[in-house]
Amino acid sequence: MQTNPSTPDTELQADNLRRAAIDKSVKGPVLFLFTNGAFWLMLSTILGVLSAIKLVEPGFLDGCPYITYGRLQPAHINALVYGWGLQAALGVMLWIMARRSGQELKTGKSLMITAGVFWNITITIGILAILMGKSTSIEWLEMPKFVWPVLLVCFLCFAWPIARMFGRAFRPEGFMVSTWYILGACFWFTWIFITANVTLHCLPNLGALGAGIDAWYIHGVILLFFVPVGVGSAYYFIPKITGQPIASAQLASAGFWTLAVLGGWTGMQKYMGGPLPAWMSAVGACAGVLLLIPVGLVGLNHHLTTIGKHNAVAASPTLRFVFFGALFYPISGLVLALNSAFWTGASLQFTQSWYSFQMVSVYGFFSMSVFGAIYYIVPRLSGCEWLSVRLIRNHFWFSVYGVGTIVIMSLVAGLQQGADLNDPGHWDQSFMNHVINSRPYVVSRAVAWALISFSNFMFLFHLLLMVAGLGRRSTAPTLLHREHDEHALPAHA
Amino acid sequence: MMNFRTFILGLAASFGLPWLCLIVIPTVQYQHLAPIAYDKEKDGVDFTSYPPANINGQGQLVYIREGCNQCHTQMIRPVQLGLDGWYKGWGEDQEARPSAPVRPNVLRDYLGEKYALLGVQRVGPDLANYGWRAPDANALHQHLYAPRSVHEWSNMPAYPGLYKVQKIQGQVSNRALKLPKKFAPPAGYEVVPTPEADRLVEYLLSLKKAYPVPGQSAVAAAPAPASK
Repeated sequence: MQTNPSTPDTELQADNLRRAAIDKSVKGPVLFLFTNGAFWLMLSTILGVLSAIKLVEPGFLDGCPYITYGRLQPAHINALVYGWGLQAALGVMLWIMARRSGQELKTGKSLMITAGVFWNITITIGILAILMGKSTSIEWLEMPKFVWPVLLVCFLCFAWPIARMFGRAFRPEGFMVSTWYILGACFWFTWIFITANVTLHCLPNLGALGAGIDAWYIHGVILLFFVPVGVGSAYYFIPKITGQPIASAQLASAGFWTLAVLGGWTGMQKYMGGPLPAWMSAVGACAGVLLLIPVGLVGLNHHLTTIGKHNAVAASPTLRFVFFGALFYPISGLVLALNSAFWTGASLQFTQSWYSFQMVSVYGFFSMSVFGAIYYIVPRLSGCEWLSVRLIRNHFWFSVYGVGTIVIMSLVAGLQQGADLNDPGHWDQSFMNHVINSRPYVVSRAVAWALISFSNFMFLFHLLLMVAGLGRRSTAPTLLHREHDEHALPAHA
Repeated sequence: MMNFRTFILGLAASFGLPWLCLIVIPTVQYQHLAPIAYDKEKDGVDFTSYPPANINGQGQLVYIREGCNQCHTQMIRPVQLGLDGWYKGWGEDQEARPSAPVRPNVLRDYLGEKYALLGVQRVGPDLANYGWRAPDANALHQHLYAPRSVHEWSNMPAYPGLYKVQKIQGQVSNRALKLPKKFAPPAGYEVVPTPEADRLVEYLLSLKKAYPVPGQSAVAAAPAPASK
């Protein structure tokens, strides 16, 4: 910390200038990632509607072999994870790391944009390949084999500068929990992605072990990439907007290290009772339940930080999204524990509760936090404020209700499917009961995805206006004031 | 407190340990997994080694391509965990109420497969031992071409892309599917399977993952083959 003896006023001004310079240096890559990510999110939610419809009524849009459920569902998940999730995460990571470490992005901007372009082209080819019948059927790695080295190189083009910033600004005495999480995410994702792809694509014949490694990969990407980015941005934005420091540094540190220690063990419980050596799924189940500890620690810390500041949650769009994202974090931990413990997992195994877990963590928790981050970051990069309170508010409510419906309905559907499968009355019958009993849940999933698509359409439209520089010219941020809720809002609000 | 190097080392150590234990060591060990020879008298099976048959790779490719594992598992759980083993037709015994549960699957059942298609969800029934419960090839073709002609409630997608609708030239082809009126092609046309559909059906018919494990009492595991 160099502090010059100067009046607080000029110091503040210098500080603002420094921030503006940092923002300007990352503007190109971050806005590129957000905009492309938002397009993929839009596509993914539309595919989500389609695949839910196909699961109830396979004859829908009959005659097109490219959109059977078996191809749509992986395309939907891959667009969500690689198209939206990773791109949006990298954008948020880059911005927070630059701001938090107080460093401008000096070189490598054009390399980042190039990497981003390649990333999007590769994903487009990969997802088209899934739909055209080149899927590998390895869950979350369905895109053809040639895709992964390109994705890895592109990821490293972003991750390496982010890690460099961290290294240059590391101060042992300062506690920077959000940057810890973000560096961890860079580090873990690289390791997990290389491991899973090398074992599954390059080694010959792994049989059932391959399926176990794949389950480990999915849990790893969720718990050691999406979760750290979500938690990291919550740790950054909640204190920033409420003006409260993080309640407890000890809790934050403990939450980080328990996640780091437990995250790598979990995953193989997806195939509990399966052909894998029993200790593997037992360890996974154990870690899956123990992960409630870091989840609880982080949740408690956020609760202690935001306590008494709930009117800020109502007013600030960023805090509203981040706060609800942070609320979904304990829920995702709970769903993971339910799926993992042998006690409940045995009946939830191979049911829609698996989808529930993926959606609560990737959409409910991660994406909601990232939406909040985007509502904060984009005005600072584009130099104008969000245009419409109504668009933000609609985006928020449709997303919350939509993803809440998907998570709850899939979980209840899982209970129903598990009960049906273990009901002795059904053992000597066909699968009719299972199919008919799970229909209403899938219908509600289709409706919920349609609502989310609608909300994302507004988000994408709003974001594009901002990126084009057509936002409000004002120094005051766009807030969702509660007292205005009752009245019809003026159009310019 | 903690410097940069300690932080990175901490990350590497905390993640490296599970990585080593769950991925690296099991992967290396798996390379040494080999088929076991059957003891004809003790095991009471006619095959020479376990697992007996190689997987039908061509058909499996179609299964992979279409993403069948999104809805069908290939994994029987032990009865203390899930009650799959008692399900009608999920093992070799096709009785409505089997006298003994099907044995759960073990690592060797998937030997030689590039990636075991254990499955994502169980929207449809388990297929680990489908070969025993499958109808004949023609009926299976009908199921793949028009699932709703078999079960009116089915939510399985139809795969018309695997079949060819062609004009009948002279006699009706002996490969032509016998479809109910509602699903039949227009008069003068017939539906015949493509080679891909044939491979897929061969693969499905070959799915028999409940052969007795050598050394384990065949009588306890599966009573039916012991009587042969």
